Amino acid sequence: MAAAQKPLSPAPLRILTAVPICDGHDSAVSTINLELARHSLEVIYLGYHCPVSTIVRAAIQEDVQVVGLSSYNGGHIVFFKEVVDRLRALGAGDIPVFGGGGGTITKADERVMQRQGTDRIFHAGTPLDDIMALIKREYGRMLKPNAKLRGDRALARAITLIEQGRIPSSFSLLPRLRKSSRSFVVGVAGPGGAGKSTLIDELTSRFLRKNPSGRIAILANDPSHPDTGGAILGDRVSMIYAQDDRVFFRSLATRGGLTGISAATPAAIKILKNSGEFDLILVESVGIGQESDPFGLFAKKRRLVDAMLFVLAPYYGGRLQLQKIGLLNGADLVVLNKCDHSMAHTARAEITARLEANGKGQRLFGTVAAKHHDPGVNALYDALAQLGGLEVTP
Amino acid sequence: MSSLGKIADSVDAYNAHVAAEVARARTDQKFAAELRERWARIHETVDWTVSPTGTPLPRLALPPTDDPGAIAEYLLGQGVPGEFPYANAAYREMYLDREVNTGEEPMRLFAGLGLAEDTNARFHYLGKHQKSLRLSTAFDGPTLYGLDSDHEGVLGKVGEGGVAIDTVEDMIRLFAGFDLTRKDASVSMTMNAPAPVILAMFIAAAKRRFGPDCVPNLRGTIQADMLKEVQAQNEVIFPIDASLRFLCDMIEWCVPHMPRWYPVSISGYHIAEAGATPVQQAAFTLSNGFTYVELLRARGADVNHIGPRLSFFLDCGLDVEYLVLGRVCRRLWAIGMRDVFGANAKAQVLKLHSQTSGRSLVAAEFQNNLTRTAVELMLAYLNYTNSCHSNSADEPFTTPTAKYATLASHGQSIIMEESGVFKHMMNMFGGAPGLMILERQVEKAILEVFREMDTLGGVLAAQEQRYQRSKIQEAGHNYEKQIYSGARPIIGLNKYKSDEPMPSVPLARTSPRKQRLQVERLQAFKKKHAKQAPDALHRLENVARGKGNVFAELINTVEVCSLGQITACLTNVVGKFRPMV
Repeated sequence: MAAAQKPLSPAPLRILTAVPICDGHDSAVSTINLELARHSLEVIYLGYHCPVSTIVRAAIQEDVQVVGLSSYNGGHIVFFKEVVDRLRALGAGDIPVFGGGGGTITKADERVMQRQGTDRIFHAGTPLDDIMALIKREYGRMLKPNAKLRGDRALARAITLIEQGRIPSSFSLLPRLRKSSRSFVVGVAGPGGAGKSTLIDELTSRFLRKNPSGRIAILANDPSHPDTGGAILGDRVSMIYAQDDRVFFRSLATRGGLTGISAATPAAIKILKNSGEFDLILVESVGIGQESDPFGLFAKKRRLVDAMLFVLAPYYGGRLQLQKIGLLNGADLVVLNKCDHSMAHTARAEITARLEANGKGQRLFGTVAAKHHDPGVNALYDALAQLGGLEVTP
Repeated sequence: MSSLGKIADSVDAYNAHVAAEVARARTDQKFAAELRERWARIHETVDWTVSPTGTPLPRLALPPTDDPGAIAEYLLGQGVPGEFPYANAAYREMYLDREVNTGEEPMRLFAGLGLAEDTNARFHYLGKHQKSLRLSTAFDGPTLYGLDSDHEGVLGKVGEGGVAIDTVEDMIRLFAGFDLTRKDASVSMTMNAPAPVILAMFIAAAKRRFGPDCVPNLRGTIQADMLKEVQAQNEVIFPIDASLRFLCDMIEWCVPHMPRWYPVSISGYHIAEAGATPVQQAAFTLSNGFTYVELLRARGADVNHIGPRLSFFLDCGLDVEYLVLGRVCRRLWAIGMRDVFGANAKAQVLKLHSQTSGRSLVAAEFQNNLTRTAVELMLAYLNYTNSCHSNSADEPFTTPTAKYATLASHGQSIIMEESGVFKHMMNMFGGAPGLMILERQVEKAILEVFREMDTLGGVLAAQEQRYQRSKIQEAGHNYEKQIYSGARPIIGLNKYKSDEPMPSVPLARTSPRKQRLQVERLQAFKKKHAKQAPDALHRLENVARGKGNVFAELINTVEVCSLGQITACLTNVVGKFRPMV
C-alpha cells in the first residue's frame, strides 16, 4: 500500500466503533475507545447490540474515516458482510471497515471477510500501540469535497469540511434537498448529568410519532480532551428512538473551543437549515451552567437558535447557586428533569420563584425523561411544537 | 443509610464480637471450660476413614489446638463446615467419598450450540458417564436478547455461542430423551433478560411431556440476574424497573409452585469477565444479592422463604484472592442475612456455583488453557464451591468442540475422583495462616466498596451513576495494560512465546442451512398459531399494564407465541432499555 502518499487529515481522525447485534461484549471495545481517544482520535461510540442499519446510518451521518467493529460471540462473517454491503448500497463503500474479536475471528475467517470487503482484522495479541499506529497511518486520509455525494452523506461531508475550516462562509455548494417551510432551531443546554441527551431522545420519539413524514436533525456537542485533543463522543449511544432514518444526528467535538459548542456549530446549523430537509433542529451544548452563552442569547445579532431549552436536575446545589445560572434568564423553556428525585419538590419551588423574578413569562416543566411515556415530556413536547409551529397530531 | 452501610457495620460488629469472645476465652475460666467441652464434643462427632494406601484420617480436619482462644476464634470466626458464619463450607461433608456420603455431585457441564437437537445430542454425549442428570444450557445471541431467529439482521448469530430457542417446541426438542422429573435431575439455564419467557417455555414443555402435575418436581436454576446485566453483561431489553418487576414476579411465582427451583443465580462471573477485580466481583455480587432481598421484602416476601431460594455464581481466576473469595462471600452473606435481615439458618447459607475464568484463557498456545483451568478448578474446590463448571481449552476461538468439552469435564473428574485431595478429609486448609491473612484483607476491601456505594445511595443509585460500570471498565483497562506491559505474565502470549504457528483447530459453527431451518420452524409455528396469538398477547399486555403477575400469564402465552412476539408485546408496554456505556 502506498501509505506514505496519502495526504493525512490535519483534523482529528474520526472513527466509529460498535459491537454487533446480539453481542454485549464491550470490554475490549471500551479499552480500544480509551486508547483511541488518548491517541487524539475522535471516537463516535455506538455501544453494544447494534444492528447493521444503525451502524451504517451513523457512519454516513458522522462522516467517519473508518468503522471498527468488535465481535465476540460469533456470526461475524455474515455480520461484517452485511455492514459492507449496506455501506456500498448507500454510496458509502469508500468507508473502510475493520474488526477484532480476540480468538473468535480466525485467520481463515479473515480471508473470507476480506474477500467480502472487510479491510482487516486485528487478531488476539496485537499490541495496542501497533493497532493505534496502523489506524492512524491507514485511515487518516483527508476527506475532501465531493460533488457526487447525495442526501445525508452530502450534508455530513459539508459539516466535516466546516470542521476542517475549509468552507468558512459559502454554502452555495450545497443543493437544497427539499423545499420546506422553515426549520425550527432549538438549543438545549444545562449542566452535565441533568439528562439532556435522554430528553432529546424522548422529544425525538414524540416528533417522529406526531410528524409521520418530517425529519429532525440533532447536533450533539461533546468536549475534546484538553491534553490529547481526542474525544469519546458518546451522545449517540444512549439514543434509542433517534436511531431512525428520519433523524440526522451529528456528534461534534469542541476541538479546543470553550464556548460550550464546537466552532463549527453555527455553520452546521446554517447548512442544516439551508437543506430544507428538517422541520426541527436540536442543538445540544456540552454540560454548562453559570458562565457560557453557547447560543448567543445575550448577543442579539449572533443568536443561533429560535428557542432555548435549559435542563437541570434537582441537585443543583441550592438557591444561591440557582441565582448564578445566567442561562435561566435567556431560556424560553426550563425543564426540571429527574422530577422523581427526593429534592425535586424544593427545586421546583425555587426555580419557579427564580423565573417569576425574571418577569419574562418563562415556563417550567417537570419531567422524568428516563420514564417511558412520561407525561411531563409530553407536555414539554407540545409546548415546543406550539412554539415552533410544528404540526401536532393528537 | 442504605442497607449496605448497615451490612458493613454488622460485619465490623460481628468481628468485634469474635475478638471479644476470644479475649474472654483467655481470661474467663468458666467460658474456657465450656469451649473445651464443646470442642471435645465436636471431635467426638468426627468419623474416621482410611486412604487407599492405608493412612487413617479423620473425615473433618480441625485445628490441632486446645487453647480456648484459638477454639473460639475457629468456631466463631470461621465456623465448623456447615455452621455459621460458614467460611469453611455450606455443608459439613461436601465432596467426601460417596460410599458414605450421599451429597451432591458438583460437576455441571455447560453446553449450547446450533439448534435444539444439536445441544440435545451434546447433552446426551456429555452425560453418558454421569450418575446424575446435570444439564446446563447456553443460549445464542438472539435468544439472549429476546429476538426471534427471523428478526432482521440476526441470521448469522442463530445457533452461534449457544442454542437457538424461539418457541416451546424448541424447548421440547432441547431436553428430549431426559426425564426431567427424576430426583437427581437438575437443569440450569444461563438466561437473563428473557428469563421469565424462557422459564415459562420450560414449564410449558415439561407439562406437555410429563403431565400438568410435574411442575413441583422440576429442579434447577435460571440465572435471571438483571442487576449484573446492567452493570456488566449488557443483555438488557426492558428499562431497569420493568426488568426487576418481571424478575420479582417470576421469583414470587416459583417460591410456592416450584420448591426445587432456584429462580435467580446472583452472578459475579460476568462482572469479573468484563474486567472487575476479585474484590469488586465479590462486592458487586453480594450487594446485588442483598438488593434482591430488599426488593422482594418490599413486595411483601418473607426473607426466610426467599433466602434459601437464592444461589450465587462466581468466576474463579488465577489471581491470589481467588484462594479465599468463596469463603469470604459465604461469611459476609451469612452475617448480613442474619444480623441485618433477620434470616434464619437456612436462609443464611450462600450456595455457590463456580466457573473457571474464560478471560484467563488465551488463543496463543491454547493447550496451556488446560493447565490454567485445572489450577482454577483446584482454587474453586478449595473454596468448597457447591457446583462447578470447567471451561474448554478451545473457548478463545470457538464454542467448545466435543473433544475439549470432554477434556474439561475429565479435568474435574481427575481432581475429584482420581486424586485424593478432596475425597477423605473435609476442611483441609481452613485456618491456615495464608488463607486467614488473605480473608481479612479481601473482606476489608469488600466492606470499603460497600461503604462507598452506601454514600452514593446504595446499589441502584450507584448503578444509575455508572459507579459499578466505571469501576469494572477501569479494572479491565488496567488488566489489559498489565498484559501489554508484561507486568501480568501470560505464558505463550507475552512470556516464553514459541515461534510455532497457531495449529488449526476444528470450530463448532452453525451452518447457514441449519440457521434457515430454524427460521422455517419458527415461521411454521407462527403460522399455526396465527389465530390464537393476538388474543394471548392481548391478555399478556393487560396483565403487564396492571399489577398482576406477568410470569403466571407468560406460562399461557408461550403456548401460542414466540419469544420475539412476546418481547415486542412487553416492549410496547414498558419501553426499551436505554443503554449505559
